Parts: sequence; C-alpha cells; structure tokens
Amino acid sequence: MVVDPRRTKLAERADLWLRILPGTDVAFLNGMMQVILEEELWDKKFVEERTEDFDELVRLVKKYTPEMVEKITGIKEDQMRQAARMYAAEGRHAAFWGMGITHYVTGTDRVKSIANLAMLCGKIGLEGTGCNPLRGQNNVQGACDMGALFNTLPGYGGLETDDLFDKYEKHWGIKLPRRPGKPATEVWENVFKGHIRGLYVFGEDPAVADANIAHVQAALEKVDFLVVQDIFLTDTAKMADVVLPAACYAEKDGTFTCTERRVQRIRKAVEPPGEAKPDWQIISMLSQRMGYHMHYNSASEIFDEICQLLPQYKGLSYERIEKVGLQWPVPDQNHPGTAVLHREKFTRGKGLFIPEDYIPPVELPDEEYPLLFTTGRDIARYNFSSMTGKTTQIDEISPECFAEVHPGDAQRLGLKEKNWVRLTSRRGSVQMRAIITDKTQEGTIFCTYNHLQALVNMLTLDALDRLSRTPEYKLCAIKVAVLGDELPG
Amino acid sequence: MNITINGYEIVAEEGITILEAAKRADIHIPTLCYVNKGTSDIPCEICVVSVDGIETPVRSCITPVQEGMRITTESKELQAKRAERMTLLMETHFGDCKAPCNLTCPGQINVQGYIAHVAKGQYEEALRLVMERNPFPFSVGRVCPRFCETRCRRILVDEPVSINHLKRFVADWCMAHKIELRIPRDASTGKKIAVIGGGPSGLTGAYYLARKGHDVTVFESAPKLGGMLRYGIPDYKIPQDVLDYEISTILRMGINVRLSQKWGEDFTLQSLKDQGYEAILIATGTPVDESLDVPGCALPKVILATKFLRDMSEGKAGKYGRSAVVFGGNNVAMEVARSLLRNEVGQVTIIYPRAQTEMSANQRNIRVAEKEGVQFLLMASPVNFSDTNNGIAVQLIRTKLGEPDEKGIRYPEAIPGSTVNIKADTVIVAQGLSACREKFEGGELESTLELTPKCNIKANPRTSLTNHPGIYAAGDVTSGPRSVIQAVVAARRAAENIHAQVMGITKTVAESRFNFSRGKGFDDVDLRNFEGVNIKLREKMPTRPPQIATQDFSEIKLGFSEQMAITEAKRCLSCGCRAFDRCDLKKLATDFGLDPSRTGMAAQPVYTEKIAHPVILVDLNKCIYCKRCQNSCEYNALEISADDVDDKGRPVGLRFNFKENCVNCGACVDNCSTGALNKKDVLVPVVNEAIREVRSTCPYCGAGCQIILKVKGNTLMEVTADPDQAPNYGALCVKGRFGHNFVQHKDRLTKPLVRRGSQLVETSWEDALNIVAKRFFDIKAMYGPDSISGFSCARASNEENYLMQKFMRTAIGTNNIDHCARL
Repeated sequence: MVVDPRRTKLAERADLWLRILPGTDVAFLNGMMQVILEEELWDKKFVEERTEDFDELVRLVKKYTPEMVEKITGIKEDQMRQAARMYAAEGRHAAFWGMGITHYVTGTDRVKSIANLAMLCGKIGLEGTGCNPLRGQNNVQGACDMGALFNTLPGYGGLETDDLFDKYEKHWGIKLPRRPGKPATEVWENVFKGHIRGLYVFGEDPAVADANIAHVQAALEKVDFLVVQDIFLTDTAKMADVVLPAACYAEKDGTFTCTERRVQRIRKAVEPPGEAKPDWQIISMLSQRMGYHMHYNSASEIFDEICQLLPQYKGLSYERIEKVGLQWPVPDQNHPGTAVLHREKFTRGKGLFIPEDYIPPVELPDEEYPLLFTTGRDIARYNFSSMTGKTTQIDEISPECFAEVHPGDAQRLGLKEKNWVRLTSRRGSVQMRAIITDKTQEGTIFCTYNHLQALVNMLTLDALDRLSRTPEYKLCAIKVAVLGDELPG
Repeated sequence: MNITINGYEIVAEEGITILEAAKRADIHIPTLCYVNKGTSDIPCEICVVSVDGIETPVRSCITPVQEGMRITTESKELQAKRAERMTLLMETHFGDCKAPCNLTCPGQINVQGYIAHVAKGQYEEALRLVMERNPFPFSVGRVCPRFCETRCRRILVDEPVSINHLKRFVADWCMAHKIELRIPRDASTGKKIAVIGGGPSGLTGAYYLARKGHDVTVFESAPKLGGMLRYGIPDYKIPQDVLDYEISTILRMGINVRLSQKWGEDFTLQSLKDQGYEAILIATGTPVDESLDVPGCALPKVILATKFLRDMSEGKAGKYGRSAVVFGGNNVAMEVARSLLRNEVGQVTIIYPRAQTEMSANQRNIRVAEKEGVQFLLMASPVNFSDTNNGIAVQLIRTKLGEPDEKGIRYPEAIPGSTVNIKADTVIVAQGLSACREKFEGGELESTLELTPKCNIKANPRTSLTNHPGIYAAGDVTSGPRSVIQAVVAARRAAENIHAQVMGITKTVAESRFNFSRGKGFDDVDLRNFEGVNIKLREKMPTRPPQIATQDFSEIKLGFSEQMAITEAKRCLSCGCRAFDRCDLKKLATDFGLDPSRTGMAAQPVYTEKIAHPVILVDLNKCIYCKRCQNSCEYNALEISADDVDDKGRPVGLRFNFKENCVNCGACVDNCSTGALNKKDVLVPVVNEAIREVRSTCPYCGAGCQIILKVKGNTLMEVTADPDQAPNYGALCVKGRFGHNFVQHKDRLTKPLVRRGSQLVETSWEDALNIVAKRFFDIKAMYGPDSISGFSCARASNEENYLMQKFMRTAIGTNNIDHCARL
C-alpha cells in the first residue's frame, strides 16, 4: 500500500495506491484510526497491555469521519476503509516513510500519528512490523546517536540529565555547558541578530541545501568567520574564510550506522588526494590548538571511547563488526545486537498515545500564488549531486530536472511540453523546463531537487516544526510563468 | 538426506540441487551459467558430475539430491567433458584480452590504463600506474622508440595514439604541479644490496629494490647520477632540470647514493661483499667507446663520442671550428652531429660505410638530424687522419657491399682506388659502445666475470645472474646499447630476481600468456571492428622548428597542453578487455589448462550493432550466452535470446536489449561471465597485477548496503557487492555501483585554503589551523562560546560526528552543535 501525492514508481507497483493531497497526512492517519475503531479492527490486547492514554486517542480521532477526511485529503471513503482494513488485518505489517512525512511544520505530528496507528493495531515489537523511517543519509542515524544534536548528549541523553553531565564531565575532564544550544535551522536568524558570529560547517552545504537559501546565503555573507571542512569546494565553501580539505569515505577507517541501527565498518582503500586529511584528525588538531587536549592514533580508539560512553554501543568493537555489522542496542560484549525494538515494552514502559489534530500546511495557494510546489529525489542522483555529479554517465541518465505539470494545469497555463517556466514563491524563483504528466496531481507542481542548475530551495519554506525544528521543505505556494521554447535572454 | 560427495558424507536439505548441496559443503563445482537458481536455456554443462548408478554425467545445477546419492565432482572423464564444452564456447568468443600496446611494450606497462586516466584528467594516477613498471617516465616519455605505437589498432582507422607523448605529459604535469606521488615502500627487510652504476638500469634496479624494503646503495663513478641519460643524451632531448627532478623522485623511495666512486679503484666486488651486501647488481652500461683503427686517430682534434657528449653535458664545450665529420651510424652519432650544429659548426657530415637504411640509429632520429641540416656521406670509410694548418685532412675510401657471408650478412668492402680527401676542423668517432675493453678490472671476481664476444657481461636472461653467485647484471652492460625502456625492464626483472634470492622466496610467476586476440598482425584484424569510429588524426607535438632549435640546447619538443593530452587520450580505442580481472571464461580456461591460441577462438566480429545504455557497454562478440545477466536482473529489465543454434548446439543470432524499466543498477554487469557487459567507467584493464578488495559501506543513503571497493595501487577501479553479505546481498542501486568517481575526481580539495580579500588561496595546515583557532578564540572571548555554532555531518563517520560534538562542547564550550538530520 502506497500513500503518495505523486504516482511514483513504487505507487505503480502497489496493490493499493492512495493519491493524497499534499500535506494532509495527519488527517488521513486519524481517519484510518477512526475507521479501525469504528469497525472494531484494533488490537485490544496490545492496547490494553502495552499502551496508555487510549481514551485520548479515541476522543480525538472520532471526529475524523470519512466524509471529513475525504474533504481534506482527497481520498475516497471506500479506499480509506480498504487501507484501514489492509493494515489492521492479521499478520505482520510495517510502516515505512521518508522525508514526505517529516519535512513539514507538522512533521512530528505525522510521525506520532503513525506510531499511534501502529500501537492501535499492535503492529510493533515484532519482526516485519514497526515504524520504520527510511533515513536519507548514510550516517544520519549515527550522527544522531553520537549526539551531534543541539538538544542531546551522545546516546540521546537530554541536556536536563545532570547525572549524565557529571559522567561526561568526568570522562572529558572539563566543565560542560548545560544551557541549550541552537538547532541548525535557527542559526541563520541568529546570525542576523548578531548572536552567532563564528560558524564551523563540516560536510554540509547549506548554501544550496537548506530551505529558503537566499536567506541562508545572506547569513553566510554576514557571519564574521566561516570555516568549511569538505571534500569539494561547495557553494558554502566558496564563501568561507578558511577551507579545510577532508578525506572521503574511501580514504579512512570508521563506522556508519544505517537506518536499521546497524553499525558497519568503512575502511581505508586509497590515499586521500594531496594534503587532505580524515575529519577526525582535523578536528583533533584544531582542538589541540584551541587548548583542549584531543589525541587519537586511530579511528578505532575513538570508537572505543564511544563504546565506553554510549549504553547503546557498549558491547561493540571493530573486532565484533569485522564481518557483519550489529544493530544497537548492544548492551554487552556477548550480546548479539537488537533487530527489533519495543519487543516486551517501550523505552518509557507503556506506549503513550499522543493524538494530534490535523493542522493545514503553512502556505496554502491563494490568488497570487495559486499552485502548490513539492520536491523529491531522482534515484540516479544524490542531494545536490556534489558526489553523483562526478560520474558523467549519471548525467546521461538524469541530464536535467523538469517541473512536472498536470495536463489540466498545463492547459490553464498555456504550457507546451518542454517549455521553459519560471517558478516563483514568496522567497525566490527558479527556471527550468516543464513536462506535462499526470504523475503529479492537478494543482501541484513537482520537481526533483538534485540539479544545481535549478536551486529549488530558492522557493522552499523555512517555517519550522515546533519540536524537531525541521523546515517545511515539502510544500509551499508558487506561481508559474511560461517562458516559451527558449530561455529568454 | 544423506549423500556423499567425493567420499565425504553430507547431510543435505531435501529438494536442493547437487550444485547447491556442494556449495553449502564448501565443495567447488565449476559452472558458467548458473546464477540465482537459473541457468541458460542452452546450458554451459560445465557443472556436470558423476552419480553412481547413472551412466552419463549429470548437470549438478538441475539434478536434485536423493537419499544415498554418491557423487563425484572431479575425474578424468568429467575434466574431458568440461574441457570439450569450454573449447566449444571459446571458439565463439571474440575480443582482445590485452591491448596490443601492452603486449608490445617491453616494459608491459598498462598503457590503456594510464591513457584512460589521462582522458579523465587523473594525471597523478596515470603517473603512478606508469611508475609501477617504469620509474623513468620523463626520460622514456622523451626518447622512447615507441614499440607500443607500432601496434596500435588505431592505425587501421587513421594514426596510432601518441602514447609516449601522453606518458611525458603526465610526468611533466606532475612536476609542474609539484605532485608528491607518495608511492608506498614495503617494510624494511634489513637486507643490504649494492647497485653499481647510476644510469637508467642501475636506478631502476635500486628503485624497485628499495620499494620492496631493501637497504640499497648506488655506486656511481661520475659526480652526478643519470648515466647515459645525462652524459649521452643532450639537453635538447632531455633537459638537465627534468632529469634532476626525475632522479629526485626515484631517490625519494629511500636509496643511498655514493657518487664519484670508481669501480675497481674505490671499491671492488669483493669489498662490497665484505661490507655485507647480500647481492650486487652491475648496471654500468656501455661506457667504453670503440676506437677507429686508423692512422691519426690519436690526434687531439679526433674525439671519441662519449667524451664529446659528456663535455656537452658538463658545459665544457670546446671550439670545434666550422666543419666536422662524425663516423658512425648509431643513435650516438646522430646526437653528436646535432650537438655540433648547436656549437656553431656550420657543416656537419656523418660518414658511414653502408646505406642510410642500414644505420643502427632509429630512423626517426636520422630524419630529424637530416632536417636540422646534418649531411650524410654514405658508402665511405676512413683510411687516414692527418693534421694540417687548417684542420684535419681526412682520407676516405668508397665502399660497396660484399658477397653475403654464411649468415647472409653483407659487409662493406673498400673499392680499390676510390680514395676521397676531405677537410674538417673536428673529427668525432661514434663507432659503438661496449661494457669493457677486454675484461673488468679490480680483482679476482672482476677479471673472471664471463663476457660475451662483444665484451658485454654474460647474464642469464631468466635469472639476471652472472657466473658469480649473488652478482647480477642488467641493462646495456649485458646487451650493448639499447633503448632506455629496455634497460629499465631488464633492471626491474633483475630487481625481482634479487628480491626473491635475498628473501629466499620463489619469484612471482611471470604474467600468463593467455590471450584472446582480435588478430595478431594488422592483416588479421577485421575492419568491421572499427565501424562507427570517426577519423580523428593524432595531436601534433608542438616542436621548435629546426632552424631555431639548432641555435641552442633548449628542448625541441615542447610537450602537449592539457587539452591536447585529453583529446589525444580520448582517441584510444580501449582494445584491452575491461573484464580482465573478473572474466570467468578466462579463469576456468586457465584452471582447465586451455589456451585459446591452441584450442581456437573466433576470428571476426559477428555483432557490430551498438546497444545503447547510459552506464553499460555491450559487446555481444564476447557473449557465451550464459544468460547470467538476464537471470540476475531483479527487475526483469533485460532480454537475451538466440535465433538459432549451430551444428554444435551453440547459439547464433544473439539478440539483446535493455527494457524501459531498467534502473541502471548494473547487477547484470557484475554477473556477466565474460566482458560482454562492462561498466563504461571501469578504468584500468588490469594486467595480472594485485587488486585489493576492500569491504566498506555505501556512502549514499541510509540503507547501509555493503560494498566492495576494488583497488589497484591508489586507484579505485570499480565498486561491486558480495551476494552473500547482509543487508543487501549483492544488490546496489545506480549510485552505489557507479557513483564513486567523485572519490578521485580532480575537483577534490587537496590543500587548506584561506581567504585573502576576495580570493581563497592555498596555505599550509599549520597556517590554516592557527587562523581558525585564533579567530574562534577571539570570538569566544568577545561574544561568549554560544556565539559559535557547528554543523556536523551525516555523511561522515560516527567517530567524526562524536569528535565534532565533543569539540563544540569542550574546546568551544557550547551546545550549538547540530547536523542535517532535520534537513
């Protein structure tokens, strides 16, 4: 079963594809639960034994009647009922999602609603079930595990846990700041306010990758001192005061933690180019100069320190993952790793239902900006192609990006196949060619975001989720100007 | 159920095939067509085994195990049957395993490989590849006779690829860009080895011995290293600064050098042995000029060629007057004549007793000398030199070729009464060079060195050993004057022999001669091979015109520009098979002892139609119809079929196409049993050289696919996956299999950069880190630690993310640390 506003390749292969109006997932999920409750399809034993606040859920979702949900999501009642029955039916059913769920101001609401649905149907804690975010980057899981986050220490210890701070202060031999930090998405505003003066950007390219990049680029111009550590001279690096050349994955030892929490090795295969160095060496060298002693002879020494500090990684070592990676938590040296979480109980004990109401997307179409704009990935490319763009054959597979326009919208716009268009949001505009296709639905323009030729983040919205501080990348209002066969001037 | 395979009792799961049961029991049964539980509709039949009670061998890939089955997987009969099937398949296989350039190069340098690097702008890697077999890319790139280019298949289209100019280009480029090649040296062995002679062969031997970790000392009689490259080849061909740089790159491997050490005076073979050198390599070349046995040859104005050229090199040129004659038809004579022109000698004549085509000099050298204005007086020999007031009177006699001797060689004979008298201010004698006068001097070991009739050292061509144990010889000292590349090759082989001896190991086996070929001679090569190749003439080497070039000793050939090099490199037809290291047909044939040059191979291409695909090259002429491509495709996105079978049951009229739903994942290529399917971007057709397989994790999405990086030297060649490894079990997407060119892309950052005004300029690590530390320190002092923010990286490792947040929380003292998890 695929729920997607766009007819993706996966949607084409699905038994049931629900074409949802962009940005309305919470209403749909609540509607599913309403049907499941109404038709008595829920897992009463699981709810009874493993969860709490079920009443709250019932109270909230009961107003999401099929009629109301259809009006919001565009999904017909019979299709929604079918979906609810398919998911709630006996057997092991798993939910998977990507950035189409999280890249919204209501991203956390959606994830909580998926968790509500899974708990309601008892589809969690067993192989082949569960809530499974498909992580976009090779080591985004690991970067979170390691505490490269403004609000947690390594291993997800919150900043309010004093015991943990004591432990880290002892281990690291220094007094640690206990006041909260700023999320990456709030840095730009703080640069303008003069609160952030120095920026150390390691392996990211916010100048093209963040939402509303015109704003980001202005902030990068303004910041007093910018250091970029990367493998290429990215657009962000071009604006830097100092650029530090780093080794890439094939030039160093280390570990990545993948979407299933499996900790796996990378190994040095070739020498880095010129004087480029592994990031861990660069950071250590810099730390030494800043007066904090940091010295490691190998990546493996750092990993050992991680395993000493992180309860999830406690039983890991390079030796243990030499052949096959293990899934954390690995609490001791003999533990085989944990393929399935929440087997007997949830981390907090009982699973807490946190029902959320549907909140419409931030920027809805109006007279001036009458169309919705959403983005996605091209399988042959990765993000802004700084890596995939170096394999010339990939240019052949995916030479350019197109604005996908529904035939109905095309007619209204007077658009012909492969015409150039200018897409404009309240924040900026981009130009590209358009193709007419019913892969996208009427009223929504889709485009992949992998081509530097069309920096779609000129358009996207930097309104943030109240908890995760994730921007609403996936939806904004735009207008379209048809420019004709050739790009003027 | 219980079965026995080769006498071993095995419990096998019911319903599985014999092949599967054997695989699970770690018993190898060869097969070419079995993959993913499927086989070809015309099966390879290599997997046949004998089962007790069944008369003829059965295909193990389709025969299910049965209780009590007794199976034999190896026997004479099975071997014969498999060999018969292999031979049939090999008879239809058509292509080049190795490129002709590689086969022709005395150094067997991976020419196609380094040209492919040049085409991609990877000059450093190209040079590293050359250096694996030739540490003299600057010199060889300038003076090589270019055996490789004579066999380049591109000749059948238009002109050969300018291989040697490309070699020179990458060397010069790396010099101009101050590239540190950082070629690794093996761990120290503690073995002391002496090399006598610091010319191309001596330094080559020293280089490869040092690379193996030996403690090598070079003894050179001259005050500088380089031998003939310095003292025999003038600056207009190899400038001194280029040679100095080249030698410095060789010495960086860690080689001890003792200059101005004369063999026989300052040391002897015995004294070296006494000092603990476990092996000695003699590589002294041919320093001895053969003199002319003519009255007057001792006159001061009659100069030996080696002395003259050495004076040139050392800037000790004398006055040579307005006219000179040079006796000799070898390469040295040409350089002498051309050097005389550059010493304001207006009239230079080479005198030779035979025809021009019989000169031993490279014809290219002769032509250039002629163009520069050197004159040739052929069919004449000197009789007498005498001093006069204005120069030397040279008496010559005309010659003709005599009757052939028993070997068919015709020697020049004087024509009686045909004397000619000419005058010259200088006479230079370039009659030929040899290793020593009659014997080597110094001691017992020296005087008993066995020599050839031409006074060169006799060394075993296989072992490089002289008649004395532990004493080796290589290069011109054994062969007489040859090309630089030949000296390099001989010395590299000697180094391998010495390494094996001092370490007490057997030498690595010589490269296999196994080779499919599209045709040995040009006449054997079908022109349909080149259908669709557009004519594009080679890039012309920028050269100073003769009238200007002869004014000084500056280099004549100026070298390719980067654009010319890339254009030229793209002319390469990439003849050698890119599946060289993974071809199962070759592997099985070798295992079975089958050599296609005896058992037969196809002689012309059958399929010339191009099958378009963005990342995959298809050559059906190499297809053996195993159908592993189709059977390994998870998307049912390709089809291969045959119109018919021939009288031996082999498929004919192959049809192959990729369907619209192909996702470019490349699983078919990794499963191809030959080079019929290939990745467009695989760089180097690897000759039998070590390839490392490094297991790693794909750097793209969060799926955590396990990958294998195939690495040669410092080159990432391609990425594959292990079908038995979780979580992806061999599956990869187009990025995972093809998206790794960024690793060695020329746009990678290689040095720290700092902003100076509007520019980012290169600087040292020291400087860059100090600036960062100071600025962060100042900002912290002025505005507090929370005025600094750090972005970590979801692409980097756990270790690095851990350190980054630790750095921000400790060294800076803020929780302003985050990464793109929310982006």
